[in-house]
Amino acid sequence: MPQLVDIEKAGVPLVVIIYEDQDECFNQAARLNGVPNIRRLHVSRTRDGVEEADRLIKPMFDALTHPLTEKEKESGRWEVPDERIIFEGALQEAQEFYQQAEIIPTAQNAPIAKYTDGLPIIVPTEELVEKMLKGTSHKPDELITFQTDHMFGNRIQNRQAEADRRSNRSVLMGNTGIKGDPVGFLPMRRKATVEKVATIGVMAGCKPEYLPVLLALAESGGGCGDGRGRSGFCVCGPIAKEIGMNFDINIFGPGNHANRSIGRAGELMWRNFGGNIPAVTNCGVWGNGLTNCIPENVEALPPGWKSLAEEYDFKRDESVLISVSAGGRGTEFSPGGYRALQKSGHGGIARRLGVKGIPGPHNWLEYIIPGLWAGREGGITIYMLPHMAQHLYEYGFKTKDDVYEWLYKQSFITVAEYRTHSWADVRTGGWMGREKISGQPWKELPDDYMVPAMDDPYENCIIVTGGGEESALYSGGRAPNTQPAYSIDAWR
Amino acid sequence: MSEKYKCLNPVGIQDPVDLYPLAPRLDGLEGKNIYLSLGGGGEQEILIPLRKKLLAEYPDINWKIQPSSAGGALSDEELKTTDAVIRGVVW
Repeated sequence: MPQLVDIEKAGVPLVVIIYEDQDECFNQAARLNGVPNIRRLHVSRTRDGVEEADRLIKPMFDALTHPLTEKEKESGRWEVPDERIIFEGALQEAQEFYQQAEIIPTAQNAPIAKYTDGLPIIVPTEELVEKMLKGTSHKPDELITFQTDHMFGNRIQNRQAEADRRSNRSVLMGNTGIKGDPVGFLPMRRKATVEKVATIGVMAGCKPEYLPVLLALAESGGGCGDGRGRSGFCVCGPIAKEIGMNFDINIFGPGNHANRSIGRAGELMWRNFGGNIPAVTNCGVWGNGLTNCIPENVEALPPGWKSLAEEYDFKRDESVLISVSAGGRGTEFSPGGYRALQKSGHGGIARRLGVKGIPGPHNWLEYIIPGLWAGREGGITIYMLPHMAQHLYEYGFKTKDDVYEWLYKQSFITVAEYRTHSWADVRTGGWMGREKISGQPWKELPDDYMVPAMDDPYENCIIVTGGGEESALYSGGRAPNTQPAYSIDAWR
Repeated sequence: MSEKYKCLNPVGIQDPVDLYPLAPRLDGLEGKNIYLSLGGGGEQEILIPLRKKLLAEYPDINWKIQPSSAGGALSDEELKTTDAVIRGVVW
């Protein structure tokens, strides 16, 4: 959006083509960027494209030539007051105040909560917020700023990103900035103070000792992501045990106060800091699925395997919050079948891996590889139990990087197969660009030429945690050139 | 009589935004330099026929096709020589 607004500000008329169901989100984003009345035309998601193109031309030309209306000529200033005390009264009345919802016409008249995730909250009285603030040494009125640099391209040199930042263009939506920059919570690019984070913490039911985690979570952009929500956060380091997080069975399920309330705080930040209103400011699709914030079981890592914090250049004894991909699917093998594979080399997994009758350790990841890149590209984030990680170590993966590299090599597919992938049309510039490794034009590569389905082994991410029956979860990978790790200790 | 409590505002701080009018419209399109900025991940079913039709049926306009990788951004130099921009499909 900033790029589009720059065009109008430069005195060049613009018309945009957009889907009708996203119009309100466009409208909000246009105002947020300073040109609220950008002319747009609606197209259909389902009607024939050629007919739509025919229909568009006249109104498109009209939008560039018809004189401006009085409203379109208006200038001014959009201001939203920020009052510290939002309600004064009895607790029951306060509960009703915070639970109010508003009807959203563009969401088929669904009522959407104004301050909460839809559920009742703990009322953030001045007294409770003051108590929460004892969890940090930071001042209540301190703005949430980046404690270190978090620029796109930090981990892989990207000069264009820096040039774009200097020209004030947004290169990566959400959580990018340099040390000292205020964090802008998306979609509405709002800011927050330490006291507002404490307020959210009270509402979510957090304890004061969680506050450094919440502040790091806020520094990461809260549960907002790029405005459409973020799916997961992982706590690494000593604080996870200090605050009683669950490392074992059911880490994504209900029951543990820290796991659940910190995750909930992320969602409340999305609503209140980011200004998320479905079909008004957020044109995502399914929501984010953030429920619990989970811990990495650092002590259970195999020898030589880095913790997530160490992967991001922190020390193992530092406490760090990392935004991760969550959700996804579980391994389809039976836990008993897994044990049979590792103990004696029997069962279906052993037959697939060609190790029938040979006791483990075996590389169980081989079982999930077939079909993993049948319709998608990119790495994977794998949540694995400590003893399943140990089996991989004993098999021969002496570091996490060894696993990442192995997964990268497994991802190679033929160009013929890659042509059947949907996103490949975009990633290859409509097949007009060049393949990165060979440097050859895509159109000149033979069908049997092998290309990786991910750009970098580091798109993969292993999180060792959980407990119980032998299964693992896997979901989308990570962006290898970002720095999604945020010091919790900096917020103590 | 219930005790009264002061309750804090969880809503983030919205910085004020200066609002600008739209750019003046053109008096006609003939001979003008118009950028057609096509979103790469957008609606190719519409944009490809639209591009073909505009180039074939409106030759009096100086069409400039912006590659999808540009993301809709025009450089300062490009803006100096551009009369109008059509951008689609956004998002």
